[in-house]
Amino acid sequence: MSEEVQRYGGGGGGVGALSLDLLGQVLDRVREPRDRKACRLVSRAFARAEAAHRRALRVLRREPLARLLRTFPALERLDLSACASLDDASLAAALAGADLAGIRRVCLARANGVGWRGLDALVTACPKLEVVDLSHCVGAGDREVAAVAAATGLRELSLEKCLGVTDMGLAKVVVGCPKLEKLSLKWCREISDIGIDLLSKKCPELRSLDISYLKVGNESLRSISSLEKLEELAMVCCSCIDDDGLELLSKGSNSLQSVDVSRSDHVTTQGLASLIDGHNFLQKLNAADCLHEMGQRFLTNLAKLKETLTVLRLDGLEVSASVLQAIGEGCNNLVEISLSKCNGVTDEGISSLVARCSHLRVIDLTCCHLLTDNALDSIAENCKMVECLRLESCSSISEKGVEQIAICCPNLKEIDLTDCRVNDAALQHLAKCSELLILKLGLCSSISDKGLAFISSNCGKLIELDLYRCTSVTDDALAALANGCKKIKMLNLCYCNKITDSGLGHLGSLEELTNLELRCLVRITGIGISSVAIGCKNLIELDLKRCYSIDDAGLWALARYALNLRQVNFLQGFSYPLESSKEE
Amino acid sequence: MESGLGRSSETSLKASPSMASNTSRNTDLDQQGGRFNSMDQSFFARPGQSFPAFPPLFGVQSSSLYLPDDNEAKIGNQFEPNPSLNNPTVDWDPQVMLSNLSFLEQKIKQVKDIVQSMSSRESQVAGGSSEVQAKQQLVTADLTCIIIQLISTAGSLLPSMKNPLLSSNPAVRHLSNTLGSPMGFGSSCNQRPSSNNEVTIPDITKTPDYEELMNSFNTATQGESDELMKCQNSCGGEGSEPIPMEDHDVKESDDGGEGENLPPGSYVVLQLEKEEILAPHTHFCLICGKGFKRDANLRMHMRGHGDEYKTPAALAKPSKDSSSEPAPVTRYSCPYVGCKRNKEHRKFQPLKTILCVKNHYKRSHCDKSYTCSRCNTKKFSVIADLKTHEKHCGRDKWLCSCGTTFSRKDKLFGHVALFQGHTPALPMDDVKVTGASEQSPDSEAMNNMVGSIVYNFAGSSSDDIPNLDMKMADDTRYFSPLCIDPCFGGLDDFTRPGFDISENPFSFLPSGSCSFEPQNGDS
Repeated sequence: MSEEVQRYGGGGGGVGALSLDLLGQVLDRVREPRDRKACRLVSRAFARAEAAHRRALRVLRREPLARLLRTFPALERLDLSACASLDDASLAAALAGADLAGIRRVCLARANGVGWRGLDALVTACPKLEVVDLSHCVGAGDREVAAVAAATGLRELSLEKCLGVTDMGLAKVVVGCPKLEKLSLKWCREISDIGIDLLSKKCPELRSLDISYLKVGNESLRSISSLEKLEELAMVCCSCIDDDGLELLSKGSNSLQSVDVSRSDHVTTQGLASLIDGHNFLQKLNAADCLHEMGQRFLTNLAKLKETLTVLRLDGLEVSASVLQAIGEGCNNLVEISLSKCNGVTDEGISSLVARCSHLRVIDLTCCHLLTDNALDSIAENCKMVECLRLESCSSISEKGVEQIAICCPNLKEIDLTDCRVNDAALQHLAKCSELLILKLGLCSSISDKGLAFISSNCGKLIELDLYRCTSVTDDALAALANGCKKIKMLNLCYCNKITDSGLGHLGSLEELTNLELRCLVRITGIGISSVAIGCKNLIELDLKRCYSIDDAGLWALARYALNLRQVNFLQGFSYPLESSKEE
Repeated sequence: MESGLGRSSETSLKASPSMASNTSRNTDLDQQGGRFNSMDQSFFARPGQSFPAFPPLFGVQSSSLYLPDDNEAKIGNQFEPNPSLNNPTVDWDPQVMLSNLSFLEQKIKQVKDIVQSMSSRESQVAGGSSEVQAKQQLVTADLTCIIIQLISTAGSLLPSMKNPLLSSNPAVRHLSNTLGSPMGFGSSCNQRPSSNNEVTIPDITKTPDYEELMNSFNTATQGESDELMKCQNSCGGEGSEPIPMEDHDVKESDDGGEGENLPPGSYVVLQLEKEEILAPHTHFCLICGKGFKRDANLRMHMRGHGDEYKTPAALAKPSKDSSSEPAPVTRYSCPYVGCKRNKEHRKFQPLKTILCVKNHYKRSHCDKSYTCSRCNTKKFSVIADLKTHEKHCGRDKWLCSCGTTFSRKDKLFGHVALFQGHTPALPMDDVKVTGASEQSPDSEAMNNMVGSIVYNFAGSSSDDIPNLDMKMADDTRYFSPLCIDPCFGGLDDFTRPGFDISENPFSFLPSGSCSFEPQNGDS
């Protein structure tokens, strides 16, 4: 301590004088991981405070895992999803010496090396385990799930895309973890009605269930209807479920708040209408890409949800202006509506919809080709709160409509103008939205450095920018971006073939950058890649397909400097996930 | 049947030529033990010979410490006090027949649980109430098996103890008094004609002495008979009825009183004799005598005997003529007396077709001679049953943590849903050695299960009916080599009276088991 005081002068001494608790409180209020890292690097007092206080840990390599677990005894959340080449032996060894009594959440997403032995050790070491995420462990099967089932206090479990899990594994879980409240079985294709039936009998506390992409049928919905506390049910692309199943589901207790039947081909508005009959407090209804015709009964039933319904997705449905008007009148409290790829959406329909729905924050109008600036005008006029506006392929809109939006909707955070043929003038208007986080301008070939300069100068919070095939963009735009939008994490520059190594050199100053797509930038070479690799420390994914000029030097630089890199796409069709990553 | 019984007592003694087949079976003890159900005369003869020791057992028991409903105590008393009475130096339990007795104990424990659960109820409800009758019959059958084992086990010691028993035990004399002359019964049985469809008279003569024995049991050991003879409860109260015919009348009135849902007389009852039922061929060539299972095959065969059989008329199906006249509704009766499918049973349930009769008779009253070659455990008397089983044998891949296996996943899941704490056991559980914690109970349960299958035929819980049959067959087979033959020679003359009595206690066996018939028998 005295050394620190001497080294860091009064400031360090001041920090060192504070108790660990207080320092912990300070650290808790530091949001950004990078800032916390800076704190603990600068002061041992902070380092000690963090060691005692740290609740969450995300480990990127398996070697330091054991040491980290011993260092942070107060851990509650452990994220091993990015821990490279984690396997049973290393996990068990790391867990052996550590005190993990406090751990409640463990994320093992994509941890394909971990089998049932590792999970067994984990569950044994963490008696208070409540949340486990095994999503995308494609190799996980019944044995792994059975190991997890030994955690009797489990409340949430995600088995998304655990391809080997069958009814047997599910039965293990539901018998072993009767307190289960949230369960995702998405993509567990082996699970059948029998397993769902047992689940419904054994886990009465279930609040959220995801059976998307399962081959289960209406019988499952009959079983599920007996779950009295179920609030959230997702059944995306369950092609064996039809209106009869929804009818059965409506017989259950009136507890459902969110239903997702998107892409379930055999569901029609008739079934949804009967579902609404049974569940009058629905807040979210996602019927995207499954409905084809609007039924009158559905419309009238939607009006019954007037007070509660906030999210409505009807993508792909044939709607007329009168239907939109009815929805607008029926559901005043809508916060989000999605009408992407809906045929028949016109300016008139949109204006009658938004006239009553002033709370809308998210409006998805992707591929509503008939819309013009008039629709944007009415949106801007009525929905001042709009945060997200997706207008991809609305090719009839112009900078005037964008201007209205930019003026009236200061909260705009995301706008998708892909393929909207907007120009620099539109970007100039958009630059007024200083809250903008996501901007997609793909295929807007008329956009030039000039327009991007406006954005760069005003939208400092931007984290995602899509300039796919904006062929007029040059290195100057990148220079402006690197100067103005330091927070950018995702940047798409595919086919912007005027970009050269000097542009990439500017990108090197974007330290937050995680995803960078440079497909078919034929002018960039190893030099540019090197500067990106050196500058963008957080780079995780890099797309270099058809960048024919890149040589070994670039790859060498990537291997040397881009320590967080997980995936690089080189030639077409090939992708090399990299093992080299480092601790946070 | 009764003719068979009657003859059996003699044939086994005299080895009459007509029963050569049966006596030859005597040599094959395994088969014979299992045959007892199947009208096999030799079976009845053998227990008959061992029987003289049997009434004394009950007598001793009733006099000494009778009433507790606990089976184990009872049975223990049945064979333990006796050696002490007769031959104190001989120790029954431990060394000589240890294996047999341990086997017996296992079974008794299983039955004990059932009976204990029933005992309170039984004492509350009046004996013979229809509510618990099914359970009681179940216990009856189980106890019957135990008795058979006991007798078989005891048989080896009988020669040394029969005299003191018979002379010293008043219960025996009482029994013989109430029964009258057992010889008379035996002779009457012998005189009975063995015609095919006329078994009613033998039945009448049969049932009385059958009832008589029940009565004697009632008087001697009331509780025992209560449990063993539940199916006979309606007439069990007639302990003082010495005259067979009256007894029979009582029984008939009981039948009327109990009522049947099938209107009697609305159908014609046919009863085939057992030989006819068991005959491999039912159609015989009048010329060469070759037998066929199907009439059509016979007709094809007849073509070889001359051109006159080749005419379309001769080859045509002959049934068309009979169909022209309205055929009366025909139902069939099982020739086995005491069986619920027998027309004399007070709750007679007729069999619909001849095929039903055949299957029923083979399944219920015949030796289960077909053993599954895969599991070597399951036995069947109908080969089709064996084939059905073999289709699924070894496929019970759905295993619960409690050790129960299921052939279908949904059945397993239904089981798991029903019982708290049960989980499906993953297939790897038994293979894995390193699995440690969670695996061990599973495999343990597995072992238990296997053990119960191999050693206790009772299977205690789930499916009593098939196991019951299997049990009886296996038990007798198991014990007969040791016990029965030795007692054969020594008993001959002296125990003659006992013989004919003794055939009765075993005639109730089938009746007890028959009460389960409708459930698994012929469908």
